[in-house]
Amino acid sequence: MSVFDGLKFRKVSSPVHNLDPRVKFFFVCVLFVVAVMFFQLLPLLVLFFVPIPFVLVARVKREWIRSLKGASMLAFIIFFFNFIFNYIYNEYPNIPSASLIEYSVAMTLRFVVLVETFSVFFLTTSPDLLGLALEQSHVPYEFCFAFTTAVRFVPVLADEAQTIMDAQKSRGLELERGNFLKRIKNYIPILIPLIVSAIRRSLELAEAMESRAWGATEKRTNLYVLRLGKTDYALAFTSIFMLVVAILVWRFVPIPPLSVILSFLQL
Amino acid sequence: MALIETENLSFTYPSGMKPAVEDISISIEKGDFVVLTGPSGCGKTTLCRCFNGLIPHFYGGKLEGNITVAGYNVAKCLVYELARHVGLVFQNPENQLFALSVEKDVAFGLENCGMPRDDMRKRVDWALQMTGIEELRERAPHELSGGQQQRVAIACVLAMQPEVMVFDEPTSFLDPLGAQKIFEVINDLNKELGITVILVEHRLDLASRYANHVIVMNEGKIVLDGEPHKVFNSERARLIGVGIPKATRLYQILRENGLKLSKVPINSEEASQFLRKILTHD
Repeated sequence: MSVFDGLKFRKVSSPVHNLDPRVKFFFVCVLFVVAVMFFQLLPLLVLFFVPIPFVLVARVKREWIRSLKGASMLAFIIFFFNFIFNYIYNEYPNIPSASLIEYSVAMTLRFVVLVETFSVFFLTTSPDLLGLALEQSHVPYEFCFAFTTAVRFVPVLADEAQTIMDAQKSRGLELERGNFLKRIKNYIPILIPLIVSAIRRSLELAEAMESRAWGATEKRTNLYVLRLGKTDYALAFTSIFMLVVAILVWRFVPIPPLSVILSFLQL
Repeated sequence: MALIETENLSFTYPSGMKPAVEDISISIEKGDFVVLTGPSGCGKTTLCRCFNGLIPHFYGGKLEGNITVAGYNVAKCLVYELARHVGLVFQNPENQLFALSVEKDVAFGLENCGMPRDDMRKRVDWALQMTGIEELRERAPHELSGGQQQRVAIACVLAMQPEVMVFDEPTSFLDPLGAQKIFEVINDLNKELGITVILVEHRLDLASRYANHVIVMNEGKIVLDGEPHKVFNSERARLIGVGIPKATRLYQILRENGLKLSKVPINSEEASQFLRKILTHD
């Protein structure tokens, strides 16, 4: 599950980590929208380089590259299908044209841009802050609480799954045996105890919440508050600027394919 | 009037055939340090849940008799109202911490009560300081050791400044040293802040030195209730299978063999003091 490794948050402090999650999310959305707007290689290539300075400033290069590596298989599949189907549909039996290859690469790059921006976002945003951002965006507190609690209990449940797996294996359960269906079936003795214990755990959690005055007032207060700083405003304006430029380019500037530019340069 | 009073209290869980606790009549004074003990499954946890209203409000079931805590009738008072007066610390520290930082977890109850931010900040700092975990404030609860987690759980409850704190086997997931530290924290809360403590515990050797009131339960009923020396020395406590302090057991064995110490000891210091007295006399 190396794709998800790129989404794991580690607590460090950097200018990127300290950005307001709302602004950061807006920035990610802008990148997302711009990536979907264009299907030419050139703008997508530009977009590909946009998150890199953030990765360097936040010093999450290793994790970031790992998440990209994890996504490489999917990227390859996307390239393969785009290429094959377009080729069979449009150009068969001629040899594939440069523009077809370029198009397939562009589609793949679009996917990579989405993965890399989301990866930067999750690598540099503490789930706590994310929950807080949700809360301050007037999402009902129950949802925010469910979100942070889910994040909090992921490592706990992973540990528990490991314990149950060890326990069942030590009683002779063989997980890696049989054909595909048999293997899925093998996991039932793992899943049932895991679900039962998760339900028990949730009851205990509910008890603890009740004992700490859950629901005492309509107007809950919060220990932390998010405030926008200078860098947050700077990033927000940059995002808006990027969006406006992208829309203008998309609307008024014809983008030549890369192959045309290359042949022009050769001349 | 005592801080906690129950009168013929019985409770049956919705799925239960017979009462989990039956005919409980106890009274606990303000400032008491109560140790509640008894074999597993004897109804200690059920009684704890009665103290803060989880029973009957969260569990349903049938509650009979009277129970008043800090002047509130538990049967008629909502859990979140009682939560400001009675804090409950559970057995498994992992399942009572939900936030992603210690600080935020300690603030959880106060946030629920709608306390203004500045006051909350002060309270959180105070609770962290009282439990000696100031340096952990930024850490994530699931990264901490069991002992640290349990201290965080205590801080969470303490931040609400309750009059009564109930600890349901807080040390059963901890090693002896961790347990010792937890007991010391609890003792400080009792002696320095005057918080009434009810501690459910099996490790009586460690816990009993702080108590001034011991209650022993068996099969849902109160068996013994009173001053620690008297309770631990009674034959019944031993026969039920309560792990009475080794010092008290030593006293009993010595007496069977014809050596009578001046008083009943309940911890090693007392035992060595009384023994020394007898040895120097001879």
